[in-house]
Amino acid sequence: MKQVVNDARVKNTLRVLGLIILILAFFLLVPSAKAAFPEKPIKIVVYAGPGGLIDISARKFSGIAAKYTDVNFIVENKPGAGGIVALKKVVQAPANGYNLYACTKSNIAKFVQVGGGEYVDALSWVAMLMADPECIITNGKMDIHTWPDVLENARQNPGEQNWVGPAAGGLDHVTALKIWDKYGIEAKWIPFKSGGKALAALLGEQGIAYVGNPRDALGNPDLFIAAVSAPQRLEAFPDAPTFTELGMDDLENEYMWRGFALKKGTPPEIIEWYDDLFKKVTADPEWISFWAKGGIDVTYVPEAQFSGLVAEDAKVFEYYLKKSDILPSQAEGILANLAGGTPFVILLIILVILWLSASYGIYRSVYAALLGRFMMIGIFLIISILFLVQSINFPSSSAVGPAAVPRLWIAMLIPLNLLLLVKTFRRKDGVSESGPRVDIVLSFIGFLIGYLFLMQVFGYFLSTFAFIIVSLYYLGYRNWRNTIIISLTWILFSYVVFYKTLYVPLPLGLLFENMF
Amino acid sequence: MTELFSNLGLGLSFVMGVVPILTITLGVAMGIVAGATPGLSPSMGVALLVPFTYAMSPTLALILLVAIYIAANYGGSITAVTINAPGTPSSVVTAFDGYPLTKKGKPGLALGVSLVSSTVGGIIGTLILIFFSGPLARFALKFHPAEYFALAIFGLTTVASLGGKNWIKAFIAAMFGLLLNTIGIDPISGVSRFTFGLSFLYDGFALIPALIGLFALSEIFKQLEGGDFSIQAAASGKQEWPTASAYWKLKTTILRSSFMGTIIGIFPGAGATIAAFISYDVAKKTSKHPEEFGKGSLEGVAAAEGANSSSVGGALIPLLTLGIPGSASTAVLIGALMIHDLTPGPQLFISHPEIIYGLLASLLFANIILLILGFFGSRLWIKVTTIPKTVLFPLIFAVSIIGSFAVRNSFFDVAACLAFGVFGWFLRRYNYPVAPIILGMVLGNIAETNFIRAIMMEGWTVFFTRPLSLGMLIVAAASFAVPLIQARKQKS
Repeated sequence: MKQVVNDARVKNTLRVLGLIILILAFFLLVPSAKAAFPEKPIKIVVYAGPGGLIDISARKFSGIAAKYTDVNFIVENKPGAGGIVALKKVVQAPANGYNLYACTKSNIAKFVQVGGGEYVDALSWVAMLMADPECIITNGKMDIHTWPDVLENARQNPGEQNWVGPAAGGLDHVTALKIWDKYGIEAKWIPFKSGGKALAALLGEQGIAYVGNPRDALGNPDLFIAAVSAPQRLEAFPDAPTFTELGMDDLENEYMWRGFALKKGTPPEIIEWYDDLFKKVTADPEWISFWAKGGIDVTYVPEAQFSGLVAEDAKVFEYYLKKSDILPSQAEGILANLAGGTPFVILLIILVILWLSASYGIYRSVYAALLGRFMMIGIFLIISILFLVQSINFPSSSAVGPAAVPRLWIAMLIPLNLLLLVKTFRRKDGVSESGPRVDIVLSFIGFLIGYLFLMQVFGYFLSTFAFIIVSLYYLGYRNWRNTIIISLTWILFSYVVFYKTLYVPLPLGLLFENMF
Repeated sequence: MTELFSNLGLGLSFVMGVVPILTITLGVAMGIVAGATPGLSPSMGVALLVPFTYAMSPTLALILLVAIYIAANYGGSITAVTINAPGTPSSVVTAFDGYPLTKKGKPGLALGVSLVSSTVGGIIGTLILIFFSGPLARFALKFHPAEYFALAIFGLTTVASLGGKNWIKAFIAAMFGLLLNTIGIDPISGVSRFTFGLSFLYDGFALIPALIGLFALSEIFKQLEGGDFSIQAAASGKQEWPTASAYWKLKTTILRSSFMGTIIGIFPGAGATIAAFISYDVAKKTSKHPEEFGKGSLEGVAAAEGANSSSVGGALIPLLTLGIPGSASTAVLIGALMIHDLTPGPQLFISHPEIIYGLLASLLFANIILLILGFFGSRLWIKVTTIPKTVLFPLIFAVSIIGSFAVRNSFFDVAACLAFGVFGWFLRRYNYPVAPIILGMVLGNIAETNFIRAIMMEGWTVFFTRPLSLGMLIVAAASFAVPLIQARKQKS
């Protein structure tokens, strides 16, 4: 009886296996690289966290674009350093049009500040889609909330006012610098992770003014638009005065633009495909009315003009950032040299030699049983020293510089390790530190490293199949039928869930990529 | 008050349809899977589904997203308990006691308690959100960067009691996590730090690969080293589930951690994770059996899960009342609202009460559905613990590799995961706890940016001149010193 059941099982299993292999073969062998653009979802890389206007722009765009194309747009938030993190992501990917950079004028400020012209040139500025006037928002619940009051307060307390907003050196910051410059006042810029968090600080009365766009003030009656940088009052915000009305002529055309960029070198036919889509989306009534409510002008400026505009912005930013000392100064001197290049490598080598010889000394001493513990302390100390030396090179700024907090952690890490070192020396007992089968762990680490290398050549699916079989065998599992079923099931699962559903681009391997 | 109840009635009547209930159920099921898979976080789960919600009505879309969000917070505990691979950073704390219970052959106890504490926590968080969101939001607004810094320091001091007699090693681990967190581009000045010119370090180390490596991989390495891999896992045959009286005994722990979770959840950033750590710490200090913590205490599981699930309610408070996101997942919700042409903020309560109250009612509902799905689901995923280790270990390796790759689609993260795994194995051999590294990596950014911001705004003294900040720092100092003094006393 049992035999019959087993036979039936084997047959069923074989059938299932055959089916799985057929399906896998089908998907793996269908050549995919030659289809027309776009053949998979496009990522819109947003340089800010979700919820901000650029994020909304990207998401709204992907919603409206769905009317005109079948391709799915996936918004991916890559916040960090005012757009540099997102830029790196786009630039490191191939120039195949699948990573669309949702850009704003703020990026230009950051690019100029960090990478100079190089960063601006790394992208093709494909289209500018909207222009959004800059404005000053205050907290209507605070006594000082009209622009004349803010101004008077600033003159009474020079350099004391806290202005809140997103990242330092971004457009809003530079606009603030410009405003301070034109009016001859001084204040502090307190950067937050997002405009939303800065607004929360304003509502919490931690700052006196926020620089952003009129739309930021929607939805919360406590937020008050004190001044708008536009030639005339905005239709959507008829109560908000312009700078011109408030007696300042030079601040009538400060605006934030938003648009899209692609990695430089993207084929022209892909850019054409985008141009066509941008034209359709920007003419869409839903798109226009959505932005009109926020006082935002919907435009469409194609690459030819947009690139010129970007170049001009870059010049203006450079001027203001230099003038206000934001472009960081580099540390100099003998110590600074130690932090980079050959001297740093020599330092590293010296530390490792010291560590190894100290370890050998301990190995030959009465503390031999505690060798591992001492070596761990050594590793933490080496890392602390290397990081400390690196931090010498960080530019210093007027407030708390980028080196301060890492040094604070190191300043606690080193004494803690020295304390532990003393305590370890006081120990009399030697404990057995290793289990009986260190060899298995080491072989598995070897397997895993080999697996990762195989993956580069043979792709994720084949190498994973092999990895699971080898590890099962190595651990003493000898049921071959189950072994095959387990590894095939895993491959199928990862294919369906990760590769197909979540669009995780699991590597297919050099072998397969070159074959098709 | 009557208006509130009539509005809630309106919301409930909306949720009581076939379509909304199915939507919630679907959301909860997807959330559990997303939470349980290392490499997928609640915010990723929510973000991935945003495009699918375009075609839905705004209320239905929000219901779906919120259901995913809630369930994903619970889902993280499943893998934390069964294979010591926390699916989300906040479920790290669940693994402290959940996994030891599995090792003792009692995963059912841990899964049961984590499910019930999650649901109770979720419901309490929602109730607080419904009744007290206004005053709490006003309180949250007064939170100065100095207080965020103090909160982060408070979170860090839990390391002292986590480490027990190994407190020096626990602090070394925490400081190491904080230092690792500074790798990459400095969020305030934009300078790249400790990147050694390597472009893949610009973004720093991602949290999830570190989490998988330090917990799941290092645990396997340790078990392989022990040579006990050929033994079938203890839990087979009849499973032990918590009894009603076992749940009843945990009532204070669950209630307390739920309140703490909601309050700490309000503060943007790492609400859920800090909440879980602090609540665990408090549970341990007030427990009659503190010695069981870390060895399979049900109180520990309840404290962690109650806090991280209730933080969902807290995180929604600033979102709904002020239009300001309290966490990465709620930030995605803001985007979803805006896509549907709704501007989140206080005016939404007046202009679209049906959306707000539909959302609140569905939160309550999602928790109940989570309880039901989780109840049947637990019987299913407990089977993971009956898989022989010879089969389980290779599969966990496979999950770890694909999970860490999926976070940013980068091989660097896979290599980092492996490196963290080996490093974690060494740390475990020499009795360094690994959780403080994760805590340091989670808190590093909040601590640093708010530290600098506070000083820029009001100078160095601000931490001691603001009463709330000073109070929190004193509590932090006490929570740091008390376990050390106790440990010293026990010694002598």
